[in-house]
Amino acid sequence: MAGPKSSKPASSATTEAVSSLWKSYTEQTPDRLKFIDAFLVFIILSGVTQFLYCVLVTNFPFNAFLAGFSSSVGQFVLTASLRSQVNPENRSEFKEVSPERAFADFALGSIVLHFFVYNFLG
Amino acid sequence: MRLFSSTLLFPLVALARLVAAKSSSGDSVLVLLDPSLEKENFSIFFNGLEQRGYALTFRAPKDAEPAIAEYDVPSFSHVILFTPESKSYAQDVTPQSLVGLLSQNTNLLIAMSPKQTLLTSLAAEFSLILPPPGTPLISHHPARAEPPTVIPVAVPQSPLVRPGTPPVWFSGVPHALNTNPNLVPILRAPSESFAADSNDDSGASMLVDATEKGGEGLWAGSQMDLVTGFQTSHNTRVVFAGGVELFSDEFTKKELPNGKPSGNAQFARDVVNWVFQESLALRIDHTTHHRVNETVPGEFYTTNDQIVYTAHISAYNPRTSSWEPFSGLTDLQLEFTMLDPHVRIALPPVAGSPGIYEVQFRAPDRHGVFKFVVDWRRRGYTYLQSSTTVPVVPPRHNEYPRFLSAAWPYYAGAMSTSAGFILFAALWLAGDVKGERKVKKGTKTE
Repeated sequence: MAGPKSSKPASSATTEAVSSLWKSYTEQTPDRLKFIDAFLVFIILSGVTQFLYCVLVTNFPFNAFLAGFSSSVGQFVLTASLRSQVNPENRSEFKEVSPERAFADFALGSIVLHFFVYNFLG
Repeated sequence: MRLFSSTLLFPLVALARLVAAKSSSGDSVLVLLDPSLEKENFSIFFNGLEQRGYALTFRAPKDAEPAIAEYDVPSFSHVILFTPESKSYAQDVTPQSLVGLLSQNTNLLIAMSPKQTLLTSLAAEFSLILPPPGTPLISHHPARAEPPTVIPVAVPQSPLVRPGTPPVWFSGVPHALNTNPNLVPILRAPSESFAADSNDDSGASMLVDATEKGGEGLWAGSQMDLVTGFQTSHNTRVVFAGGVELFSDEFTKKELPNGKPSGNAQFARDVVNWVFQESLALRIDHTTHHRVNETVPGEFYTTNDQIVYTAHISAYNPRTSSWEPFSGLTDLQLEFTMLDPHVRIALPPVAGSPGIYEVQFRAPDRHGVFKFVVDWRRRGYTYLQSSTTVPVVPPRHNEYPRFLSAAWPYYAGAMSTSAGFILFAALWLAGDVKGERKVKKGTKTE
């Protein structure tokens, strides 16, 4: 990468940092992790939508809001932990957890989460 | 031939009509006749009653037999009191006993006079205000051969009397009405008449004094009434007539000042029709209620149920002496009440079904014990009252709506997360298999 250019204004430094971050992300992240990140973004969007609906329109069936929102949040947590366990750069942290074991944990946790969610959804 | 049969047929039909007209509450009539009044002087009136099917029993006021009531049970369906001059009666006739008759399905026709008798105090109980004793009605208009106390009075429009009845001859005492909603004015005094305490014109000075005082203290004008009816809350009827000569033969046969026959016969018949429960007699046969798609009345209803209420109403037809379904009421109302009416809605007649009034409405959102109340009161008509009590319960735990439309974003969110998870897991495992195959292939080819 080129060195810092002192003649550029400060906002360009921010956009410069963001674009270099994005470039390094797209080039250096393995495909599987990008796949997990896409799923995470989808879950975030769904959770934010439900939260905005609750705050702006009505929180009338509050149990339904809690169920839907916690479905998003719980799924996000499980997927994020799958991502960190499967990332090859974290091998030293997770010596006794193989990627297959991580995925199995993720799947089991998700199924239990969905069971609770549909029960509480009413 | 046709003319002959029609001329023969018409009186027969008219006679048959007269004979068939009967009361809806019985046809035994007790007539208390003053000894000073001759029965023959009222022959047109009494014969008319007998022709119409009433059984008349005559009695003087002081006779002990037949009594109007035996052991608190009335002996007759109707009582006529043509006793304007009697000051004392037998023991069974007192104001209290007469009022007691009214609460036991007996109707009264009472004729009054300028004399003060117990009928005066009885009339006061019915919100009639009588003038001082000895002040009959006097009118100097229209110009006529009769004395000023014999007055032709125009008959006002009312559901009781036949429209187009000619003016009637009247002689007697006027009265003023208090504001009682049960009163039914039938005949009003002419506006140029007044009540004065002498039968000739020597009371003119009294009139002059009254005009100087601005009319104060003078009984005059059409704010006075001559014949008034009263319908009690038991739906029995009383008529107070200011004078008994209204029903006499002499007045019935007398011609009006313009030469036409008087309307006394027709008017007397109409008044008697009303008092004896022949005309304007209505009743609610029965009422039903049920949910919209059912026919049997439910033991209870749930809040926000659609309920259908039906009332069957009949009117008495004196020509056929029977109760026939009647769809002429346009302003019936139904109230669905728990302490206050929660729903007040019109009860219209059903086109094509005589006598049936039906409405559909939604039970309110409150649970409790409600009543279907129909309470219809109009002057001259029988009061229609009906009240049916019914419980309204809140919905059971499985009667609430299953899926709420306000919650669909949350349903969509939860389902999309589950669908996303399943898709992700499928693709991840497929990717794993592809990756293994690649690695295997790679090692193989090496």
